Amino acid sequence: MKKTIILTLTCAFLITGLGLGQAQKPADLKYPPLTYTPPDPAAYRVTFANGLRGFVQEDHSLPLVNVTAHINFGGLYLPKDKQGLENLMSGALIQGGTKTKEGTAIQERLDFLGASLGFNVAERTATLTLSVLSKDLDEGLGLFFDVLMNPEFREGPLNLVKARALQQLRQANDQPSGVLSREYEKLLYGDHPLTWQPVKKNYDVVTSADLKAVHEKFFFPKNIILSAAGDFAKADFKAKVDKYVSPWKNKDLAFPALSKAFPAPEPGVYFIQMPTNQGYINIGHLGPEDTSPDYHAVQVMNFILGGGSFSSRITSKVRSTEGLSYNQGSRFTYRWGFPGTFSGYVQTKSSTVGYAISLILDEFNRIRKEPVSDAELATAINYYLESFANGFESPQGTMASFANLEMTGRPLDYYKTYRDKIKAVTKAKVQEVANKYVHPDKAVIMIAGDWDPCNKGSDKCPGPLDKLGKVHKLTLADPLTGEITK
Amino acid sequence: MKRTLTVFAALVAFAALATLAAGAELKLDVKEHVLANGMKILMIPRPGVPRVVCHVYFKVGSINERPGITGIAHIHEHMMFKGTQVVGVTDFAKDAEIDKQIDSVMDKIYREKYWKADGDKAKIAEWQKEYDALAKAEKAYIVKDELDNLYANNGGTGVNASTGTENTGYYVTMPSNKVELQMFMESDRMLNAYFREFYSEKDVIMEERRLSENQPGFFFSEQVNGAFYAATGYHWDTVGWMDDIQRITKADLIEFHTKYYVPNNAVAIYVGDFDPASLAAMAEKYFGRVPRGPEIEPLRTAEPPQYSEKRMYGESSAPTSLLMMFHSVAAGQPDAAPLQVLASILGGGGGGMRGGLGPDGEEIGQRGGRGFGGGGTGRLNKILVQEKQMAVSVSAASRAQWYVGAFQFNATPRQDKNVTPEDLEKEIWVEIDKVKKDGVTPDEIQKAKNRFEAQFIRSLSSSSGLAGSVGRAELMRSWKSIMTDVDDLKKVTNDDIKRVAAKYFVKDNSLTAINRRGSGR
Repeated sequence: MKKTIILTLTCAFLITGLGLGQAQKPADLKYPPLTYTPPDPAAYRVTFANGLRGFVQEDHSLPLVNVTAHINFGGLYLPKDKQGLENLMSGALIQGGTKTKEGTAIQERLDFLGASLGFNVAERTATLTLSVLSKDLDEGLGLFFDVLMNPEFREGPLNLVKARALQQLRQANDQPSGVLSREYEKLLYGDHPLTWQPVKKNYDVVTSADLKAVHEKFFFPKNIILSAAGDFAKADFKAKVDKYVSPWKNKDLAFPALSKAFPAPEPGVYFIQMPTNQGYINIGHLGPEDTSPDYHAVQVMNFILGGGSFSSRITSKVRSTEGLSYNQGSRFTYRWGFPGTFSGYVQTKSSTVGYAISLILDEFNRIRKEPVSDAELATAINYYLESFANGFESPQGTMASFANLEMTGRPLDYYKTYRDKIKAVTKAKVQEVANKYVHPDKAVIMIAGDWDPCNKGSDKCPGPLDKLGKVHKLTLADPLTGEITK
Repeated sequence: MKRTLTVFAALVAFAALATLAAGAELKLDVKEHVLANGMKILMIPRPGVPRVVCHVYFKVGSINERPGITGIAHIHEHMMFKGTQVVGVTDFAKDAEIDKQIDSVMDKIYREKYWKADGDKAKIAEWQKEYDALAKAEKAYIVKDELDNLYANNGGTGVNASTGTENTGYYVTMPSNKVELQMFMESDRMLNAYFREFYSEKDVIMEERRLSENQPGFFFSEQVNGAFYAATGYHWDTVGWMDDIQRITKADLIEFHTKYYVPNNAVAIYVGDFDPASLAAMAEKYFGRVPRGPEIEPLRTAEPPQYSEKRMYGESSAPTSLLMMFHSVAAGQPDAAPLQVLASILGGGGGGMRGGLGPDGEEIGQRGGRGFGGGGTGRLNKILVQEKQMAVSVSAASRAQWYVGAFQFNATPRQDKNVTPEDLEKEIWVEIDKVKKDGVTPDEIQKAKNRFEAQFIRSLSSSSGLAGSVGRAELMRSWKSIMTDVDDLKKVTNDDIKRVAAKYFVKDNSLTAINRRGSGR
């Protein structure tokens, strides 16, 4: 049965703007009501052969099909001596070919069809994604499942992938923003699979057999969720997928237990010397998990603090009023199964590094001490409610979101209840979560920049930086060896 | 049967889409409405999720600047977010009174600082204090970032703008029932622009330029670009030279706004769930109130022929690499299509996802622009990366821009095998000469054509990507050029490819730039 997103326009949109007169100011505008019901994941859920799960939507607007396999596999599941294997697998799954086809032949054929196939491995989820014209669906799916089920990781292409991986390692300390985010996580999570960095010798020792063994262990129907949308009949699509998956055996798999204990770093300034004319700055500590009952209140609080672009306090103060930076704000990042991070961030010219940090810390303190205003709360809540439908614009994106819900074990009514939970956030709750999750006294202040001008400051806010806390100067490891040379 | 992307009633749309025949030709359909003041309103209705992508584009970018005001198109774009005579202010008369005093103090400071070699520092400091006091007093009348807050409060997402060499765009995606707010705000910015907080915003823009400067290789690539384009505004980066950002005045900005931000130089495009008739009526009401401006003289200067080979060597923290650039033709010229097919054949492919599943913002498929580089199945990749193992990556791209064109090769050598950029340069010339002599194979041409066609279809799947392509195309060559460009690609023959290779790949038409990784900026 065809499912469509239910849309109710309770007032005829057709008459909007006709004969109502021209508004003189934005507050004069009156809008017809609009209600929106998000799609229900249950309506799209499919179980394929051998327990492969999926979320599938017909979408006949264009002669295209998009399919993604979400595999519960990632770098976190690998032992320390196998770090980096996941990066090589990212490149070699397709390029390394299958039992019956060379990787170059697969790529050549996909290109000839104007199709694309990409593979990416993240922390705990890997995705293989196919986009193909619907007329070529059979051939595209054939290649997709061949790569997913029968990769061969041939040595020649694997060596080319290694050469590219080494080139990336050589560049690992070039970008100040990349260096800052990597070192910030290392400081907050400590020595943990979340922060391990592969070096050259990790890549050198990986063999085709290693990759095959890992593939063998993690890639099987019950460990995969499919998301698909496009120009097909759902029953036909299911039959095609079942044909490929039927012979694919399931395995027993025990995921490694991973520690969730992270010793808190000493608060203070952590400085990384780089030859830049700005300081790149993160200020913060670990944050909650996205399964926390406080999640929605934290979203609203952070929108006001620094997540809501120009509607947020940090952007308004640091950029719009003071002109100190182009990019600034605060964010909570989330990761499946672990606490995320909280950070205030800014990049500003060296002389105003201390000043910008002090302004951000002021905002951290203010949102803890004072209730937010009615207008701030209303803007944050309205933003989330009114823009809610945005997340469902792309059928394939929607199916992928549902697959992620299922993969990470979040309830399938997550979207259905989302707006009620946002609506329920009060000023008191905002202040409560600000006190619970924003801790300026425990924050680390990490700066990547040029020490002398940063430390000197400006007339308006002179240094030294140790006014902000004890200064720790960090030395970057050589990304090829992992060793600190000076 | 012709297949159309859009039809104008929801029920008809479902009926039409349900009866599509396999293999039917796909057509882009855009509903046009032209206002009396010359502004074009383009509409692509897509029933479904109740959101509407709303973009406004102006035919102005850094190409329209001149020495002394480089970066002004971008500064102006920032200033359009700082309120108007109606929005962002509680009492406009009082605010304007202070703002005029601010301008006159800053005028004194600029003359002392920038007109004199040894300006009086004490005077400047005194005026600076005056400025600080006035800026503080003005705050009483400013409603901070009201445009952003109004959009946020009403579910506007992706509120942003971007300035390029050729055009400037203003973006927001609204709930279907609140497009009127966008019409109000965007027409208000055209009609009632008022550039308060100009001086602190220039500080923000200098920070934006510094962010670019801190990217490895930025300075070298800025110089390479400057050397390649000698005469036109493509010579400088859109962000502008730091000297100009510092010295540009409010008066410069007002002159720029008055000249270019007129409805007869603008296009608004809407993609999403709406009724075109009511949207057009709304546009009449809001954008229709903006008076037409004088016609704008087309650009006078084109890039002159180079008649000499250019070579540049630089050292930066970016990876050791080779860049070869050749002047080619602007978009829509007869040679643009064969050059694009050739770029795809030499440097295209690779299979990685580049489709349009993302949220707001990302343009999909880069229509009419560059052939995708880095490719796994492109000729150069096969030969230099896979067979000879001399390069980590190699790509070719044909960039047919509005007024000029460039064909370029990028390559990164295998340092672990002691390959140099010069070695790769020689290899690429060998491949170029093969194309000049023998052309390419029918299979290669067919593959490129298939890829462009699929790319075109994919580009239709993202509302924001489509709004960007259609809106920008309309400013220069009409939105229909999106389809005629695809048709032109389908007609390309091997003779065309041999001809363009012989014509454009000559040393006197080229710039070769070699960057070596080192300690330089």
